[in-house]
Amino acid sequence: MTLLEVEDAHTYYGESHILEGVSLDVAEGEVVALVGRNGVGKTTTLRTVLQLTPPREGSVRFRGEDVTGLKTHEVADRGVGWIPEERRIFTQLSVEENVRVAVPDDGDADAAVEDAFGTFPDLREFAGKDAGTLSGGQQQMLALARGLVGDNDLLLVDEPSEGLAPQIVKRVAEALADAAEDTTLLVVEQNLPLALDLADRFYVLDNGQVVESGDADETSADDERLRRYLSA
Amino acid sequence: MMSIVLAGFVDALGQFLRPENLAAVLVDGLAKAGLYVMIASGLTLIFGLMGVLNFAHGSMTMIGAYLGGLVMVTLVGSATGAGARIVFFFVALAASFALLAGLGGIVEIGLVRRLYDRPPLYQILLTFGLTLILDELIRIVVLFYGMQPTSDWVAAQGTKPYFLEQSVDLGLVSVPGLDLFEIGFGVLTVATLWAFLTRTRYGMIIRAGSEDAEMTEALGIDVRRVFTVVFALGAGVAGAAGTLLMWESTWGASVPLAADALLPAFVVVIIGGLGTFRGTVVAAVIVGMTDAVMTWWFVNEIRFAGLPEMTIFLLLVVMLVLRPQGLFGVEEVGGH
Repeated sequence: MTLLEVEDAHTYYGESHILEGVSLDVAEGEVVALVGRNGVGKTTTLRTVLQLTPPREGSVRFRGEDVTGLKTHEVADRGVGWIPEERRIFTQLSVEENVRVAVPDDGDADAAVEDAFGTFPDLREFAGKDAGTLSGGQQQMLALARGLVGDNDLLLVDEPSEGLAPQIVKRVAEALADAAEDTTLLVVEQNLPLALDLADRFYVLDNGQVVESGDADETSADDERLRRYLSA
Repeated sequence: MMSIVLAGFVDALGQFLRPENLAAVLVDGLAKAGLYVMIASGLTLIFGLMGVLNFAHGSMTMIGAYLGGLVMVTLVGSATGAGARIVFFFVALAASFALLAGLGGIVEIGLVRRLYDRPPLYQILLTFGLTLILDELIRIVVLFYGMQPTSDWVAAQGTKPYFLEQSVDLGLVSVPGLDLFEIGFGVLTVATLWAFLTRTRYGMIIRAGSEDAEMTEALGIDVRRVFTVVFALGAGVAGAAGTLLMWESTWGASVPLAADALLPAFVVVIIGGLGTFRGTVVAAVIVGMTDAVMTWWFVNEIRFAGLPEMTIFLLLVVMLVLRPQGLFGVEEVGGH
């Protein structure tokens, strides 16, 4: 079953035309990678799905329902989670509060906190500390934990490995692979080997358009088709 | 000549340092701090969490004073006992809080919300215009009912229970009952707001929304509604502060109370650091104590009644020059 459909989305920042007719779909249970150079519209695609930057033309459908023009919290309420670029954790909230705030009103916050600390044990000792005091890697763990406790059907993950040490990247990849067992993922990632390792399928974006797509298993990171669009 | 002045100063200092005078100044300062923290809390909540500088804050305090007074004058008769007057005061307080919170909610939804995407100057101009309208409306109403709008509403001040008009002997010093009430009320206000912001889920959401509204929205939380609640809460606290001021002989319910309350509220939030609740509490104590010390000196020794108020603004100027972000201020505050 198709969970997410983006159809001919045209998205602008002011008068800058960023997405020039992006179309993609994600089936339930899939991990789909969105790759491409900096500034080609990957993050904007995720923002368009969440209606943070709604498309001026085209549509976004989630579980068959047209969510174009809805408010972001209404899209999120339908089961779409976001792990944004640069983490964007709440630095003035404690680590535990960062998890609790992501739990829906009718959810069990205590159980969610236990789950999060079970998945990322390193965070437990910092539970009561301001999240702003965490290292970059710990903040990424917290951002993942926050995204995972929301009971989302689709997680939009933006550059999860950006700026992290290789050892941390490995742990982030493991956490995402675990999450993928019961959540559908749309992952924006510059690290092509990581993206292809995680994903079932991929889309390549260039100049605001999807220019390539395929199965991750049938493609390698040095595939000439991909390198053409990913090299600066 | 110089030696005479110096001798006079040493004599005055000796008087000031007498334990009974120091104790009196301390209690007076804490009572003033209680009032200042009440007045400034709503302003700092709205600015700290939403980034909106609400110039109508003083008008909301003034309306709270009139509403509180109206409830008290209506309910209290000459035969009403002290206990009943305290109960009625809390009824008045709840009514002021509720009505001003409602007004705040309407203002946020109907007016302020439309300007979130504009520079802060637009919000300042809007709320400044609102304060002119509210002040004029209240002036018309109180004139219509034959009340003098520019002097304190004496009937409202007369509704306080007898024990708040008497002094309480605390050993070293005899303290006005109203001062103790104001200190207690200031502590209660701070504790309640602090507990709300740090111990409740809604408080947690408010803090998250003030730091990163977009991220909070993406967690499925309606941030616009959160901002409405914050604006309503800030306006409600302003109204509650006004109800407390209704009993104060130096403040009282009057139209000029809008400006009289707004200015020290700004002084407190700027000294504390725009948008920090902790800074507001600390600054209220500093400003209250400064006010009390200067009042003692200018009433008992130098005899210039207008100067204590001026020293508060001098404190503001010094802070702006030495530490523009205030005691606990940060570079950026909440927004949308």
